[in-house]
Amino acid sequence: MLKTLWMGLAATAITLGMAFPFSYWLARYVRPGLQKPLLVLVIVPFWTSYLLRVYSWLNILGDTGVVNSFLKWLGIRHQIVLWLGHAHDQPLSLLNSRWSVVVVLVYLYFPFAALTLYSSIDRFDWDQLLAAMDLGASPLRAVRKILVPQIRPGIVAAVIFVFIPILGEYLAPQIVGGVDGIMIGNQIDEFQKYALYARASALSLLVASFIVLLLVLFRKSLSVKEAYGA
Amino acid sequence: MAREAGVLAPRARAARGLLTAYGLFIYVFLFAPIVLLVLFSFNKNQYGSFPITGWTLTWYHQVFGDPVIQDALRTTLKVGGWVTLISVVLGTAAAFPLVRAGLKFPAGFRVAFTLPIMIPGILIGISLLIFFRQALHVQTSPTTAIIGQSLYTTPFVLLLVAARLQGFDRNLERAASDLGANAFNRLRLVVLPLIFPAILAGALFAFTLSFDEFVITYFIIGGYNTLPIFIYTQIKYGITPEVNALAALVLVTSILLFSLAFILPPAFRLARRGIRSMRGHREVVREPVAVTEH
Repeated sequence: MLKTLWMGLAATAITLGMAFPFSYWLARYVRPGLQKPLLVLVIVPFWTSYLLRVYSWLNILGDTGVVNSFLKWLGIRHQIVLWLGHAHDQPLSLLNSRWSVVVVLVYLYFPFAALTLYSSIDRFDWDQLLAAMDLGASPLRAVRKILVPQIRPGIVAAVIFVFIPILGEYLAPQIVGGVDGIMIGNQIDEFQKYALYARASALSLLVASFIVLLLVLFRKSLSVKEAYGA
Repeated sequence: MAREAGVLAPRARAARGLLTAYGLFIYVFLFAPIVLLVLFSFNKNQYGSFPITGWTLTWYHQVFGDPVIQDALRTTLKVGGWVTLISVVLGTAAAFPLVRAGLKFPAGFRVAFTLPIMIPGILIGISLLIFFRQALHVQTSPTTAIIGQSLYTTPFVLLLVAARLQGFDRNLERAASDLGANAFNRLRLVVLPLIFPAILAGALFAFTLSFDEFVITYFIIGGYNTLPIFIYTQIKYGITPEVNALAALVLVTSILLFSLAFILPPAFRLARRGIRSMRGHREVVREPVAVTEH
């Protein structure tokens, strides 16, 4: 339970941390004519099957996957493995941990965050930032004091759009999480498998009410429907 | 913003360069998994991974020759067809009261209608499983999967059609009524042609979502396979290049279908406008599309 919240928050924080500079770059430094095509490009992976987007990470994180082969090819896998305290040269096990789940979650929900953030940064008046810097603010300080407060609704919406689906995540932990990466969704499934229907229902209801609560509380920030591609 | 780059010399340019590099990195991050998947599906290496030992189409031959996959494809298409039909009919019908009935709490209804999109698939899947098994005592089968998927796809059609209805000029219907059209003819000759692009987009959306749906389906399809479910059961035995090939095919299909959902409806409108302008102006009265489309 707590672990799900913790993993969800970590994944949400990383997703937003990655999406903010990206959206900032897209809205500020890319030619206006190119912005829309580049934005569509962000959504394209999202048009593919959710199962396959998780599955494709097995090719990357698996024992014979891209990361392992690459490190081996560089000749430094051995050192890393030894450094981690293993006696023999063995594949680096990157799967089956809560961290592999977080990586995949960030990948899955990055488009939500990028889209939502972009649409609010896009409406920002850049002259205000320049004015702040003329008055002596450093660029980072100007961004923090001028830009961030103005796009706060967008940030809230992005957090909600990323956090809610993560709460009910089932497949990513199932495929890349192992025992360590188990989340509420998998717990519900476990209950159901052992015919503990009352427990499964109770936990489902809990998650669903929490989500509805979040939606109601933040309904003002959530009018951005296009975040779901619809 | 060329203007500021000139004003704020080197540091600003460095920030810009850094962010551009970062932007490119993000695209690599987003596309690498997908590209690698497709790449590995042509790889001779039978572990479906690096190193790439040569190029081959063997895995694709295996995919097309596999009777289990053919069976899964048939189920996928059958389920997808029914889901599309059900969600288009229900979603379009539900869009009318949502937009036009003057409901007391429109926002509340809207949220309620979109809940199936926001509620995680695992909750829908398991609650339906318990509902079918414990409450209705029916066996899970493709039929129950069709019901479950429709629950999830209908809101997409609803939202698309409702958005189109919202921008609909009701004077057109009043005009048709003045000219003697009854309710059925108004719907058939005025309203449906105007909202058809949204319905078409909704249908494509519904089909693609159904084609890719895994979590809900997994719980309520019983012993049957759709393509995603077949892939999932294979993953348990490790990655094989054959699954990579099937995955690549499914991936490309859904990207194409989604692109169609975005390209086709506007193209359809354009084409119809083209036909109208060829027919000349007298047709305008019979083709109400002409009046509103700018």
